[in-house]
Amino acid sequence: MSHHKLEAKNLHFNYPDGHNAVKGMSFSIHHGESVGIIGANGAGKSTLLMLLMGVLFPNQGEVCVGDVQVTKKTLPMIRQRLGMVFQDPDDQLFMNTVYDDVAFGPRNYKLNEKEVEKRVLNALEVVGILHLKDRAPFKLSGGEKRAAAIASVLSMQPDILVMDEPTAALDPKSRRRVMELLRSFKHTKIVTSHDLDMIYEMCDRTIVIKNGEIAADGVTSEILVNAELMDACGLEVPLALQNCPVCGSKK
Amino acid sequence: MANIADSIYNMRLLDDLARQETLIHKLHPLVKLLTTVSYLTVVVSFGRYEVAGLLPLFFYPVMVLALAELPLKPILLRILLVSPFIIGIGILNPVFDQQTFELAGKEFSRGWVTFLSILLKSGLTVTAALLLIATTGMDRLAGALRILKVPRIFVLQLLLTYRYISVLMEEVARTLRAYSLRAPKQKGVHRSAWGSLAGQLLLRTFDRAQRIYEAMCLRGFAGEYHSGEINKISGWDWAYLGGWVAFFVLARMYNIPLLIGSLLTGVIR
Amino acid sequence: MHMADALISPVVGGAMWAATAGVAAYSIKKVQTEMDEKKIPLMGVMGAFIFASQMINFTIPATGSSGHIGGGLILAILLGPYAGFLTIASVLAIQALFFADGGLLAYGCNVFNMGFFSCFIAYPLIYKVLMKKEYSTTRIFLASVLTAVIGLQLGAFGVVLETLFSGKTELPFGTFVLLMQPIHLAIGVVEGLVTAAIATYIWNARPEIMEKASSGETIGNISIKKVVAGLVAAAVVTGAGLSWFASSNPDGLEWAMIKTAGTAELEATGGLHQQLSDLQSKTAFLPDYSFKASEEEPEPSGGEGEEAWPAVDGGTSTSGLVGGSLTLILAALVGGGISLMKRRKYRINS
Repeated sequence: MSHHKLEAKNLHFNYPDGHNAVKGMSFSIHHGESVGIIGANGAGKSTLLMLLMGVLFPNQGEVCVGDVQVTKKTLPMIRQRLGMVFQDPDDQLFMNTVYDDVAFGPRNYKLNEKEVEKRVLNALEVVGILHLKDRAPFKLSGGEKRAAAIASVLSMQPDILVMDEPTAALDPKSRRRVMELLRSFKHTKIVTSHDLDMIYEMCDRTIVIKNGEIAADGVTSEILVNAELMDACGLEVPLALQNCPVCGSKK
Repeated sequence: MANIADSIYNMRLLDDLARQETLIHKLHPLVKLLTTVSYLTVVVSFGRYEVAGLLPLFFYPVMVLALAELPLKPILLRILLVSPFIIGIGILNPVFDQQTFELAGKEFSRGWVTFLSILLKSGLTVTAALLLIATTGMDRLAGALRILKVPRIFVLQLLLTYRYISVLMEEVARTLRAYSLRAPKQKGVHRSAWGSLAGQLLLRTFDRAQRIYEAMCLRGFAGEYHSGEINKISGWDWAYLGGWVAFFVLARMYNIPLLIGSLLTGVIR
Repeated sequence: MHMADALISPVVGGAMWAATAGVAAYSIKKVQTEMDEKKIPLMGVMGAFIFASQMINFTIPATGSSGHIGGGLILAILLGPYAGFLTIASVLAIQALFFADGGLLAYGCNVFNMGFFSCFIAYPLIYKVLMKKEYSTTRIFLASVLTAVIGLQLGAFGVVLETLFSGKTELPFGTFVLLMQPIHLAIGVVEGLVTAAIATYIWNARPEIMEKASSGETIGNISIKKVVAGLVAAAVVTGAGLSWFASSNPDGLEWAMIKTAGTAELEATGGLHQQLSDLQSKTAFLPDYSFKASEEEPEPSGGEGEEAWPAVDGGTSTSGLVGGSLTLILAALVGGGISLMKRRKYRINS
């Protein structure tokens, strides 16, 4: 299924103020892969996501989804395939009921209202908040908002899910629920996060970014245990892999 | 709108009330909007000296309140909080209108009648507007606006404003809390921080707008806003509208209380 | 300075609604054709920002008091007049619906008073002109304060005129003006100073925001002409409305002028009222029903314009009192009855 492939070829990006945020990144992500993108604050994760989504366009290099290059022209088609869940659900849930929010995408693609309804109910059911469909977003808890934001992307039936800090600001139980949910998806997944334990559990592959460049790209279980690499990139070995704080023994 | 918590609470309360499913709530939003507008027009069309004639119009809010199972207290509270502007302007009526009339053997200034008339109208109009939103909700009201051919851009923008009031109010509340914790004994924000405090909030608002715009684009937004279908107006909806409008017109044409009163006092005599 | 429904007459409310709808339709067209759709979420969120920023109390130096901003000017500065006007319109809509600040019928008046004057008169004619040459802190302060003051003075005067034309209060024109204008002078100065502080901050931190707002939205001669044309149209609509209700009351307009000079009285629903009272007196079937008591007053058709005083003799007043109380009691009983029945139904169901 080559059209599920996501490819970044030698990406460069400068902000208008001259800040060189992305310097020559290349990688390719295949169908069904689950990839974590990690790095310190300001390393360039968010910029990279914006480039992948076609919100920003690279100064040099290209992003391809399947065999199609991301350009202004191909955006409508690209965006049906790539779904992005924002870090702050309040940015993503801009309508006044959960239903309308989840329906926003399908309606923009001019599906008939029957199909829209089918998709919305299906997406809400998958994330387990069907009962909240007529609620206003500001009445939801943090975990429910996150689920609604994910549903609002699922209703567009994307092939690839891109998530920016999906577990940020969630209590432990809600975090666990979101992780279970994400794990159940068959989509190709790209996740950025500082929650390295989540990355360790969820992603088979990890890309480490440092100062706009790829510092490492490989199997998660090998990268995240590399204390030297992690330290150099402003990160830390996941807590689950560190010494037990009580007895000092390695897990 | 003095207090952040109160304002947010008030909006949430009205939103909750609007999500009930009573007879009134199930009515078509456009019908409720039209009924409200005709009610307001009739109330406002009464002259300055008419008080008795206004009274039958109490039936509308009372009936809707009861049928929609709305709590009386928060609505009454709102009416009491009615803009001091009205009372400020109205209270001068007795001063400027010194003509007197007799009631129950006592002399009153006509100004009091006009003042009372203004107060009654204010109470009725405020209640009617609150009842509209408390039985319809912002999203369905937006649907009614779309049927009335209000341009999409305006409706979408209105909905966005409504949606983000609570988000931004909480943001302002956090900022003010942080400010006041480090600036005890200050009543408001000091002049030296006017620009930076409000300006920072504003810049964050711009950034948020940017992110929202991105979120919209990523889900296929291209300047057009598509709302869902809204149910057709049923016969029952038309009957509701027609019934009330007929009553309003009747109440406007005949001074019903006076008729009742005359009948009664006539019989006693 | 929100106008309330209780203070306006249907004619004034309707005329201002028409004027506001016209300006809004024009603004929407402008936003659609001239600007990118990026502005829509910005307008929406900025509207919410205005709500939120009204919670901030700014301490006014040397007075010990504090005030908050209305936000009309900052919207015009940051979004341009068209988007700014629409944003104010949606802020006022939500205030009218949820906070009972201003009513639905008075909505047109409010949008006009608070949006039109600041966005389409004060902003292009003062702020834009003063800021044409260069941006500097002093200029921003000067322009903001002047624009805010003039915008609010016009708005306050709008309130005065609308209220007087509606004829619900007894306030003489002079008194009302003396009440409204100085208060709004103070409010305008505060609005201007705070707006200037914010604008200066934005200009220092993110100058591109201010440049973007002012570029591509030059209110050139053409637009001004269109604005003036809109004003004339609004005036025609208002005049047509006024003459319509004055038609059965020939001296209506003239008398409205006298009224503003403080000598005569305003009648809001003259024609309609008179016809209705005629109808009422024709259909009166009770001997005690003394609407004709108004004959003691100068006849409305006589052109005096004094509103019919409906209940002058004691008998009618008593009938009114008895009937009025009965009506209210009846209303309460019906409402209470429905609630009781509903509650019972719930109890049975549960």
